Amino acid sequence: MIIAERKPFEEITEMIKGYKNILNVGCGGCTSICLAGGQKEVNQLNAELTKENAELKIDSFVIERQCNYDFFVDLDEKAPKYDAILSMACGAGVQFVAERYTSIPVFPALNTVFCGVDRNVGWFEENCRTCGECVLGDTAGICPVTRCAKGIFNGPCGGTRIDGSCEVDPDTPCAWTDIFNRLTEQGRVDKIIEVKPPRLWQNQVRRVLIQEDYKARYAE
Amino acid sequence: MSDQEKKAVDRAEISKMLDKKAPEMKRILNYCVHCSICAESCFLYMSHDGDPQYMPSYKIINSLGKLYKKKGNVDHEFLEGIKGMVWNNCVLCHRCYCPIGIDIPRMIDFTRSICRSQDVFPKLDEGESWL
Ligand code: SF4
Ligand code: SF4
Ligand code: SF4
Ligand code: SF4
Repeated sequence: MIIAERKPFEEITEMIKGYKNILNVGCGGCTSICLAGGQKEVNQLNAELTKENAELKIDSFVIERQCNYDFFVDLDEKAPKYDAILSMACGAGVQFVAERYTSIPVFPALNTVFCGVDRNVGWFEENCRTCGECVLGDTAGICPVTRCAKGIFNGPCGGTRIDGSCEVDPDTPCAWTDIFNRLTEQGRVDKIIEVKPPRLWQNQVRRVLIQEDYKARYAE
Repeated sequence: MSDQEKKAVDRAEISKMLDKKAPEMKRILNYCVHCSICAESCFLYMSHDGDPQYMPSYKIINSLGKLYKKKGNVDHEFLEGIKGMVWNNCVLCHRCYCPIGIDIPRMIDFTRSICRSQDVFPKLDEGESWL
């Protein structure tokens, strides 16, 4: 899931300065689950904003997903009545809202931080940088792109501390030590000495994915 | 008592929302022939060994359908009661297929909106589960 956090309050007030009639749109998907942009957070932000500026008219609305236009039916009716929109979805959702209502300025209320997992209520950890060429099969399910400070594919780097932490940050376990240990546990530690060729990083341009079965449908 | 339970239900607001979608609702309530084709296309129904609670038509008829029949004349307990059906039992993946053309996820999405309008939604920060 996508993890986000609220922008500093001052940054939000600065962005919406001058707009008097705003719709704050929450997302019922990831940002609800990561407790950053669901209905409760929308209401909370609006309460703070009106406390700061009593003249501001800011309404709340939550759609189940801002990354799929199937969920925009009711928003389509509301959006034109406002002179600005604040979105509490991830960056993908904010852009989709902005693309739909091009004449209305759309501002992000959140910073989209990473793609990760819920360790506990309110506790999230980054696990994937969506590199597009997953190597987890060879690394015992531990991502070297995300969890190794140098993002190396043929680790460890040689700087691992004696206690198994990363040389860059003593509070972070060395990803490659964890990979070594888990591969050993699984009886396939030989995987670690296979040299991985350099990666052709492909994320310079916007990626578009159409699943195999749907290619014919969108061919034109 | 949490904040969500404190707010009194605004029945007029629910009824206004329902009126706007009346034609779509009539279609599902009058034309669903209980063919169960939607059930077989819902992965949640299939992965729960055919538990009717996950059947797309069941979810709609027992949440939005009841709301519509009661003309929005419901209390907080009712909305809390259907919450599980429209959040936990459906991920809004839009994969279910209805030969009559009923847009089930759209209706579940709409039911969530009605719940949201009354401040009823999963209390994720209180450990309430999503799935
Ligand atoms: S818009 Fe972003 S936060 Fe909302 S459901 Fe889609 S990916 Fe998740
Ligand atoms: S290798 Fe890491 S960043 Fe790449 S897809 Fe796999 S988990 Fe994600
Ligand atoms: S110590 Fe481990 S995690 Fe840190 S950079 Fe080196 S290989 Fe990567
Ligand atoms: S949208 Fe809901 S009812 Fe339809 S297939 Fe997905 S989970 Fe099942």
